[in-house]
Amino acid sequence: MIDARSDEAAAIELRGLTKRFGDTVALDEVDLVVRPGVVFGFLGRNGAGKTTAIRILSGLARPTAGTARVLGHDVTRASDVVRSRIGFLPDVPGFYPWMTAREYLGFAGNLFGLDAATLDARATALLEMAGLASVNTRVGGFSRGMKQRLGIAQALINAPSLLMLDEPTSALDPIGRREVLEMVGSLRGRTTVFFSTHILADVERVCDAVAILERGRVVASAGVAELTDRATANRLVVEVEGDGAASAVETALAGRAWLKSLETTGRTLRMSVSDLSAAQREIPAAIAAAAVALRRFEIEEASLEDVFVELVGGPEGR
Amino acid sequence: MTGFGAFLAKELTEIRRTWRLWVMPGMLVFFGITSPIIAAITPALVQSMAASQPGVVIRIPPPKSLDAYAQFIKNLNQFVLIAVVITGASVISGERSAGTAILALTKPLSRRAFVVAKILSQALLLVTATALGTVACVVVTAAVFDGADGGRLVTAVALWLVYALLLVVVMTLFSGAFRSRGAAAGAGLGFYFLTLLLSSWGPAARYGFLGLVPAMRDALMGQALSLGWPLATAAAAIVVAGAAAVGIFERQEL
Repeated sequence: MIDARSDEAAAIELRGLTKRFGDTVALDEVDLVVRPGVVFGFLGRNGAGKTTAIRILSGLARPTAGTARVLGHDVTRASDVVRSRIGFLPDVPGFYPWMTAREYLGFAGNLFGLDAATLDARATALLEMAGLASVNTRVGGFSRGMKQRLGIAQALINAPSLLMLDEPTSALDPIGRREVLEMVGSLRGRTTVFFSTHILADVERVCDAVAILERGRVVASAGVAELTDRATANRLVVEVEGDGAASAVETALAGRAWLKSLETTGRTLRMSVSDLSAAQREIPAAIAAAAVALRRFEIEEASLEDVFVELVGGPEGR
Repeated sequence: MTGFGAFLAKELTEIRRTWRLWVMPGMLVFFGITSPIIAAITPALVQSMAASQPGVVIRIPPPKSLDAYAQFIKNLNQFVLIAVVITGASVISGERSAGTAILALTKPLSRRAFVVAKILSQALLLVTATALGTVACVVVTAAVFDGADGGRLVTAVALWLVYALLLVVVMTLFSGAFRSRGAAAGAGLGFYFLTLLLSSWGPAARYGFLGLVPAMRDALMGQALSLGWPLATAAAAIVVAGAAAVGIFERQEL
């Protein structure tokens, strides 16, 4: 799948992972593999099941069926081993308001059993990275962005092999969001980052690979570039000249086996096709047969947003 | 018990750095000081009220140190136990609703260690506060009354402390079992009033921990105590409630 290195255990491996809350299916037989060392975006709209998956991975919830393995360990059976090697940041991190940032890092480091010298060195470096080195006020007075940055810092105190971030930028202003994304980006190559979000731009900006979750199912999983290339290879834009020309072309192309969808705006036709070479041969011929003048005919670059919308079917879903 | 030491240290620091340091010790010391004073002035107050009613004569024997101790025990059984219920209601549910439990429990901290540290820190606070309050009561009683016998009070307070520690564990159980602190407080108050009611029922007082309540009174009066069943059942109830608190919290999804 992504950056496959068969000699190394997957950072995350989900097989048939299912979670039901009564009649509601939050996760529906999810299969997913995240290779070590990548910044992985777990993309889906609100309610898609991202947080449920992360809660299972972090040991806060149990699956109804299927398995969830983290760093080679079944999370339901080796929770202590898993917890000692992961870093976790929930969407709204809760800190003890009476502590300072350094005190919280000290508390977290003590839970991991770090010795005093290591803990002090790491806390200093992480506070520096989070831009909180000179902040001595209690966490209770922190802004949302400061808490989120402290959240990432505390999740890194044990130098984790896997860092799981649940919607780390969803409630931040643009500056706070940029700071958090820069922190995440700076971790590339140092640890595996599993990063859930519904913000496509964040994924495009920092992620190497992505899985798209829709209604509890993974509908796509690949490298970001691979996913957009795959979509690009299936999208064509045609612009014609003359009144009524676009509808004449639309009529001429109707019923072609390779035509998946066609959308006409003025004199421009945008189409998604299943066989690009057939489309490239037949479209110009159909336009010529309809006696229409061709102005533009090209393969359209797809963004991650296009991929996302195509896969999850727009605002209301499929 | 992974992470127990670090989490217990956090709990004790939290007590030292927040309002929790003042509430329980403040309340106990307040009652320790005021109970002897109230016992000393109560006869004068009652007689002055009776004086304003023509034809009413009330004779009250002169107050003694035992009256001060009885007043202190009464305050412990009423106000302090209710405070134990109210503060205990949020001990786990508060961490859950604030999101602090999630962040701690995704680190090497077992849920068993989380619950046991909560119980132990509350118990330490309660024992310390009770000791301070008892010392205050003995000192003020000695100052206000002659010939104060602190031994009886210490015995009665020790029996109260066993009951209060049971309530601490029960409240930790309720706080973990119920999502809302209001529900936990409601269940705790129900437990408190039910046990108070049942403590006057002979068999329950003889063979159960409910016997601790009348035993406090007997201790103050210097009567012979039969504490085998009450203490054994209280210890068993503490262990069972503690195990239930751990078991329920371990099975919960956060």
